[in-house]
Amino acid sequence: MADTTAGVAANSKSQVPPMTGAWWKLGTGFLMIFVIYGAFFIAKGAAGFGESGDKARAVFFHVPSAILASVCYFVGMYFSVIYLFSSKRSTLEIDAKAAISMELGALFCLLATITGSIFAGIQWGVFWNWDPRETSIVITLLLYSSYLILRGALNSNPTKRANLSAVYCLIALVPQQFLIWAVPRILETNHPTKVLQNSGNTSPDYRLILWCSILAFTLLFIWLFQLRLRAYRLVAKKEAAR
Amino acid sequence: MRCGIIEIENLSVTKTVCGVLKQVNQEESDTEKAAQDGLSASSSTRRIHVCLNHVSHRFGGRTVFDNLSASISSGQTGIITGSNGSGKSTLLRIIAGLLEADSGDVTFETDGSYLDTQMRRHMIGMVAPDLTLYKELTGAENLTFFASLKGIKADRAMLVEALTEVGLRGRGRDLVGGYSSGMRQRLKYAFALLGRPKVLLLDEPTANLDSDGMAMVERIVRCHQARTDGALAIVATNEPRETSWGEPLIHLERGE
Amino acid sequence: MKASTGPNDASNWMAQARCLFLKDLRAELRTRVAINSVGLFAFSSLLLVALATRGLREVMTLRMLDLPIDIIRPADVTAAMFPAWSAASKMGLLWTLLCFAAFAGLAHSFVHEEEAGTVTALRLSMSPAGVYTGKLAFNLTLLFAVALLVTPFYMGLTGMQAGNWPVFLTLMLAGCIGLGSTATIVAALAAKARGSGALFGAIGLPIITVFLMLLLNAANTLYSDSTDAAAHTIKTVQDVGGLISFGILLISVSAFTFRFVWEE
Repeated sequence: MADTTAGVAANSKSQVPPMTGAWWKLGTGFLMIFVIYGAFFIAKGAAGFGESGDKARAVFFHVPSAILASVCYFVGMYFSVIYLFSSKRSTLEIDAKAAISMELGALFCLLATITGSIFAGIQWGVFWNWDPRETSIVITLLLYSSYLILRGALNSNPTKRANLSAVYCLIALVPQQFLIWAVPRILETNHPTKVLQNSGNTSPDYRLILWCSILAFTLLFIWLFQLRLRAYRLVAKKEAAR
Repeated sequence: MRCGIIEIENLSVTKTVCGVLKQVNQEESDTEKAAQDGLSASSSTRRIHVCLNHVSHRFGGRTVFDNLSASISSGQTGIITGSNGSGKSTLLRIIAGLLEADSGDVTFETDGSYLDTQMRRHMIGMVAPDLTLYKELTGAENLTFFASLKGIKADRAMLVEALTEVGLRGRGRDLVGGYSSGMRQRLKYAFALLGRPKVLLLDEPTANLDSDGMAMVERIVRCHQARTDGALAIVATNEPRETSWGEPLIHLERGE
Repeated sequence: MKASTGPNDASNWMAQARCLFLKDLRAELRTRVAINSVGLFAFSSLLLVALATRGLREVMTLRMLDLPIDIIRPADVTAAMFPAWSAASKMGLLWTLLCFAAFAGLAHSFVHEEEAGTVTALRLSMSPAGVYTGKLAFNLTLLFAVALLVTPFYMGLTGMQAGNWPVFLTLMLAGCIGLGSTATIVAALAAKARGSGALFGAIGLPIITVFLMLLLNAANTLYSDSTDAAAHTIKTVQDVGGLISFGILLISVSAFTFRFVWEE
């Protein structure tokens, strides 16, 4: 998905004025503004988050970044697998796409950690109490960093870097999936996933803003992905010319 | 059951190939030769064609070589020449399937079918400076280990024969760590010749060897050439003496 | 050679793995590099732990000094020796030790092949499946040996109880498998990346942390007193099952991706 839009945008960039394709970027901007405004002034608080339910407003930013932190990993994994099974010639761009997804994943993961900590601070009174879900997000952040550290260590040999980091992405998928699916089920956590999943606790406008926020964050991801890919292509072009 | 058949077939083939070499060395009686030919005709006298198709390779941004094409068939010995840093070793590694070329490919063809990497490696014996054997094992242990990986049963007689052939008789029980560099080079030949592979790839074949060792290598190459079961060799070297072993295959210029 | 001896045959890579395992074992028994580094690492960290936790024992020791020799009861001595933590924390510390010890030594088998240059000869003679299986078997053996040496010693030193023996042993076994399989594939990656040492820890520890999280949770279940026996059993099975499935999944993914690491 992100791949094709990026490709189209890059092509159109070289031929027609750069504003083409800007409509959805503008749309993303407006949607984001709407979400930020709505998070504080439109949506009512959710039940189960203190008396006013205002504490649930952190959710509008925490949940989308946490979702994207996982989605980015899947996108990265998708490109890693494609890379490993493509013939090795001129496929370094696929590896670059994997790397970009992982970088953005690290970014969203960091955002999720920070917003999560803020939420823990207002809801539970401490910003950090080693709840399994808190530990999970930190480890996810570590996994992302390890991937990027591995890439950094292999900068001198792009093919080897692509190969080894793709493998690492697949290996680290095992703990990453355990963090998402197994840890919340096996370990006891205070994380209010269930409270939110019960639709009786939230109002329709709350859910509207939440879904809008998820959409806005996803569009933001695609946009950032495109930007980074374009930057990569420019560097690659310059290197090929050298 | 299937495994059993493979085992038997494998054994007979090994014996045959060894036998063929023996004929070359010792000119054994015609009857035995005929019997062996009968055996080997079915399985091991297939001709091999090695083709390099527009092979290019780069290290980082530097082009090592560009658009190389060549081919060599059974019975030939091809010589790769070129100055230091021109990519001789890299090319041999690509031919051996240890390294993937950036573009173009190397094919091994026998009876009209192409061999995959694993099959290809199985019929290759290689000697190269960056190929080393285990220092913490003895010479004989090294050979036993690699022989068993190739599915060859290494008994005492076979080990003695292999070590004698490379002039290391009596040193098989010493740790390779205690070998001199020349002795290690000799042991590499014993390793490369395990199972009598059809394709010999030699990179700097006489590095670290004394005159006796050089003669040994030449003898090995000549024997290999004289095999009638479809063997070929590719040698990367700059020594004038060694370039006369076969016909020029590729001359590499130093890339930018 | 004839095609039928090709290394793709299923029986063949098992045989190759066995050869590699025996070769590694032989070389290891001769040089003892890996077992010494893992073992020494484990024992010296144990010593460090004993020193670092002095504060937890100090009170008892001081009290003992004031007492006449004949009044000291065995219970006092025991209390002075054993840090006052929960059994689950002791288990946690044991696995932290084993983890770092494993990361100190298990890279050796791959890094050594790479550094000594024997990797070329191996790649010419073996299929990736054989290499992975052989190395995994060797690393697991090494880890079992170290765990077998260190654990009783650790139990003696800290007074950690086994609790339910079958569960305890399953836990240790599953722990070794998870740790060994992680360390093996990460070592293969780190060995190819050459920078090795530091990188091995940096890319391996985050993976193993998740595993330790599960393991410590299982240890908590093992040592918890529960009135509801059925629920306790279910929880135990769930926890240990999670542990074992982590190991199995990691081994499957490694087996699937190893050839991309092994081939250049």
